[in-house]
Order: sequence, then C-alpha cells, then structure tokens
Amino acid sequence: MSELVVRAEGLSKRFTVAHREAGLGAAVRALFRRQTTTVEAVRGLSLSIARGERVGFLGPNGAGKTTTLKMFAGLLLPSAGSVRVGGWTPHQREREFLRSISLVVGQKRQLSWDLPAVDTFELNRVIFEIEGRIFKQRLERLVSLLAAGSIIEKPVRQLSLGERMKCELIAALLHGPQVLFLDEPTIGMDVAMQAAIRGFIRTYNEEEGATVLLTSHYMEDVAALCPRIVVIDEGRLRFDGSIEALTREISPLRRISVSAARIPAAAALAALGRVVEWSPSRVTLDVAPEAVAAVVPALLAWPESRELSVKDAPLEEVMRALFSRAKTDEEEAG
Amino acid sequence: MGRSGARAVLRLIAAQARMSALAALQYRLGFWTEGLLGALWSAIGVIPLLVATSYQETVAGWGPWELMAVTGLFMVFSGIFGALLQPALIESMEHIRRGSLDALLLRPVDALALCLTAAFSPWRLTEAAAGAALLVVALVKVGAAPDLWMIGAALVVIAAGIVGLYALGILALCASFLAMQLQNLTYLFDALLDFARWPSSVFRGPLKALFTFVVPFAVMTTMPAEALLGRLAAVDLGIAVVVAAGLLVIARRCWSASLRRYASAGG
Repeated sequence: MSELVVRAEGLSKRFTVAHREAGLGAAVRALFRRQTTTVEAVRGLSLSIARGERVGFLGPNGAGKTTTLKMFAGLLLPSAGSVRVGGWTPHQREREFLRSISLVVGQKRQLSWDLPAVDTFELNRVIFEIEGRIFKQRLERLVSLLAAGSIIEKPVRQLSLGERMKCELIAALLHGPQVLFLDEPTIGMDVAMQAAIRGFIRTYNEEEGATVLLTSHYMEDVAALCPRIVVIDEGRLRFDGSIEALTREISPLRRISVSAARIPAAAALAALGRVVEWSPSRVTLDVAPEAVAAVVPALLAWPESRELSVKDAPLEEVMRALFSRAKTDEEEAG
Repeated sequence: MGRSGARAVLRLIAAQARMSALAALQYRLGFWTEGLLGALWSAIGVIPLLVATSYQETVAGWGPWELMAVTGLFMVFSGIFGALLQPALIESMEHIRRGSLDALLLRPVDALALCLTAAFSPWRLTEAAAGAALLVVALVKVGAAPDLWMIGAALVVIAAGIVGLYALGILALCASFLAMQLQNLTYLFDALLDFARWPSSVFRGPLKALFTFVVPFAVMTTMPAEALLGRLAAVDLGIAVVVAAGLLVIARRCWSASLRRYASAGG
C-alpha cells in the first residue's frame, strides 16, 4: 500500500452547545441560567487515506463531516483519539504542516471582500513565503485551468458565487498544498460551474499527486471524482469503500430503463423486476443482478425497443437506503 | 523569536498594512471622510492645550505644560490604539464570532500576529503624530533638556506601555472566545484610556494601583513624561518593565488556552 497521508484512530469531538426555547422570556431566563447539552459530533472515527487518493466524505447534515475536516486541518482539538496528517499532529499547527495542506469551505471565504482577489493572492505570497517566480507560474497556471483571467482583478464583492469560488480555490492552492480538504466546494453553483470545478479538482489531483478529501451534497461531484467514499452518520463511520461496493451492499438491484412503442401494464412487468417508473413509452425496472441476462433480451424483444440502459441505483438513493437502514438497526438494538 | 522569525513578522505586518491601505483607498468618499475625522480627532486632543494655557494652576504637582506633555503622550497612545489595535481587535472578534478565524489559523504564521494586524485605520495615526508634536512643544515650554539616559528611559517605558496596551487587547480577544459580541469591550477600553490623560499622582489608593499594575495607564503616559522631565525613579522603570512582561505572559497563556477551546462555527 502506498504511503498513508491521513491516519485517524478513534477520533472524537464533543461540543457543549447552549440552547433555549423561543421567546423573550426564555432569552431573559437564559441570561441567568443557561441550558447546555453536550453534542458528540464525531465518535471514535478511524480512517486512513493514502497519498494521491481522492476520497468522497459523505453523510447527512450534522453527520460530523465538517468537524472531522476541521480536526484534520488543525482547527479543532480532538476530544479523544488521535490524528496524523502528512506525519504531523494537526492541532499543533506546525508551520510546515500548514504549508502542506489547504482547507476550502464553500460557505466561508478567505478573500478580502472589498479588494480584488489578486490582492489576497499577494498577501498569501508573503505569508506562505512563496518565491516570486514560482508564485507567478502557479498563479498563471491556476488562472488558466479555472479560466479566471477576467475576474481576479474585480472586487470580490462584485463576483458571482461561482467566480468567487474559483478565486477561493486559487488562493487556497497558490502555496502548492499536497493535502486538500474541500468542504462543499460546489455548493450553490450552476451545473456548468460545478462541472468546471470538478474538472479542476481532478486535474490538480492528477498533476500534483495531491490527496483530496471532499465533502459534497451533490452526489454527481462524488460519483465523478472519488473512486473511494467514506460515509459517516451521527459521527460514526458507516461505510468505507468504492461506490460500486456500497451500491452492491445496500442496493444490489440493477436499474434497467428502456423505451418501446408500447410498454405493457405495470402489473404485467412484475415477473421481470420491481417497477420504479412507468409511462406508455418508457419503463424503469430494478432487477436482481442474476436476472439481468434474461431480462435484457426480453425487453429488447418488445416492438421498437430502444435506448436500453443498465445502471446501478443512483448514489443518492443508495445513501438514503443506507441511512434509513442504520436508523432501523439502531432502533432494533435500542 | 529568531532573526528570521522577526523578519517574517515584519513582512507580515507590512503585507497586512498594505491590504488595509488598499482597503482604505478602495472607497474614495470613505477615504476622505476618515481623513477628515482623523484631523478632527487630533484637533480635539489639542483643545486641552488651549484651556491649560489660559489657567496657570497645577494639578497634583504638575504644571500646565507638564500636563501638556502627559496629554501629548496620551494622544500618542490613543492614536496607536485607534489606528492599530482597536480595528484589529474588532476585526478579529468578528472573525471569532463568525468562525472565519479558520482562514487565519490555516496560515503558517503566528495566529496572534495575524489577529493583531488584521486591520489598520491609518488616518488615526494623525492623532499620534499630533501627540508627538504636542509632547515636543510641551517639553520646550517647560525648558526640559532630556539627556540620552532620560530619553532611553522614556523609550523603555513607552515600549512597556505599548506591550501593556497590546496585552490588554489580547486578553479582550481571549474573552471573545468565551462570549461572542464583545466588540463593545474595545469601546469601553477606549473610554477608560481617557484616564491616561491625567498624571497617575491624581489618583489615590486602589485606583492608583489599578492604573499602575492592572490597566497600566501610568506606564503609558505618566512614566514617560516623568522620564523626560528627569523625575522617573529607577524602581518605577523596573515596575513598568515587570508589569508589561507579566501582562504579556498572562495574555499569551490565555491566547493558547483560547485556541484550544476554539469551536469554529458552521459545522
């Protein structure tokens, strides 16, 4: 196995969170007597990532993804367990460690709001002590890869979300980090911009050999970029492997779609598989893997049969099934 | 901190100052308004000069022009606070509240240095310049001719005063890790700083101890004036250095503890 870049053992993080009921009365009472609860954001997470891997980090809202990334980046001190990134203990925030990583959070910015992004790039050049010639080369390459030439000299507040994210990525990569933590880098972007950012992340990973750990609510991001996915829920590891392995484990049925001149009634299709979608001219069925060889010829035999496809269940559906199964298991155990 | 470390901090300060200057120049109207306010601030600081020259009474043993020397030093510190420390504290407290401190903590330099240079209001330095001018005028009027030792002692206590001022700022910043929205602390501090207009001999008992050891206004204004007027006792010089160093150690420890508690925001 190639060199491990991220190694977490039994990593946990607890937060004390204040809460109160709605209303002025509750707010005044909270001034004198505050109610708090302890939230276990991450519970005993163990995980290893090798150099150059692209890993998708998935989970529902509040699963502990961002908290984990922040512990990996040294922003949060773990409550228990240990983590090493590139041989460093992140929360000690050694300079060489900080030079070797980057954390990009889609909803936060490091760029100065009132100034053009180039001014923040220049500040980062000084802070990261990047040699002038290397800085110029990297900036030109990143600007070219992201097609950002026309936007880096505009004040950041005048940029669209997608344009701003391009500049955030440039600012985050100018020092040439070898480990990249990306938290929702395509959030709120249109489809074309998402594709551009995905292409850029893949190119950076392949050309620089950088390790990428990515969280995203857009399953297309993860499916297109990450050969390996790590799924957490309520702070616990639920799955670690390839998308194909997850799909086989959670939703092993193959999804077959076909168009034809006249689709038989749904009830008549039960023998072939479970009907997912039906219209008079197109149908989608979930079929057991061992039955695919028999079902496909049967569908192709329909009059004017065309556009037949055989796929795994969509990742979003697989994830929903995974989380609902985990909840059911817990309820049964509890 | 080694020589290369000191050079890195100086480069950082220069780069952050450049960003603040660029931000100030980005909006023309804001730039000129700030300039006008800076000039007004300086003029307000000099008003006591006009008042004092019309009365010849002494305050706690200090003559009118000696008081002007203290006022000049007060303006120097008030200008430094308003130009350098207060904007950086307000900006950093906002970073802590919103969780955007993350971006600062990910940079390979001392996070405290980044926080303390996070923003500048360059125009407020006009007040410090006016204060320095007032100090020189006051010393000339008094007829003081400080020798090298006196000037050196004054510079030491001024440095100790600046260290004390920054240490208090760091403690305020640490408090904002525990309780958000503490920007008002900086305005309270600004108001408190007004006590530094007066020589410390004006205060008695607990107030005198407070303004010497806890909020060391005496170190910032009274002691430098005493040094330049040839009245500073060696023991006071020692007290100034010890108080500043003590506050700095406490502030640095609080900062390290606060970073360990930092919970970021938004996930």
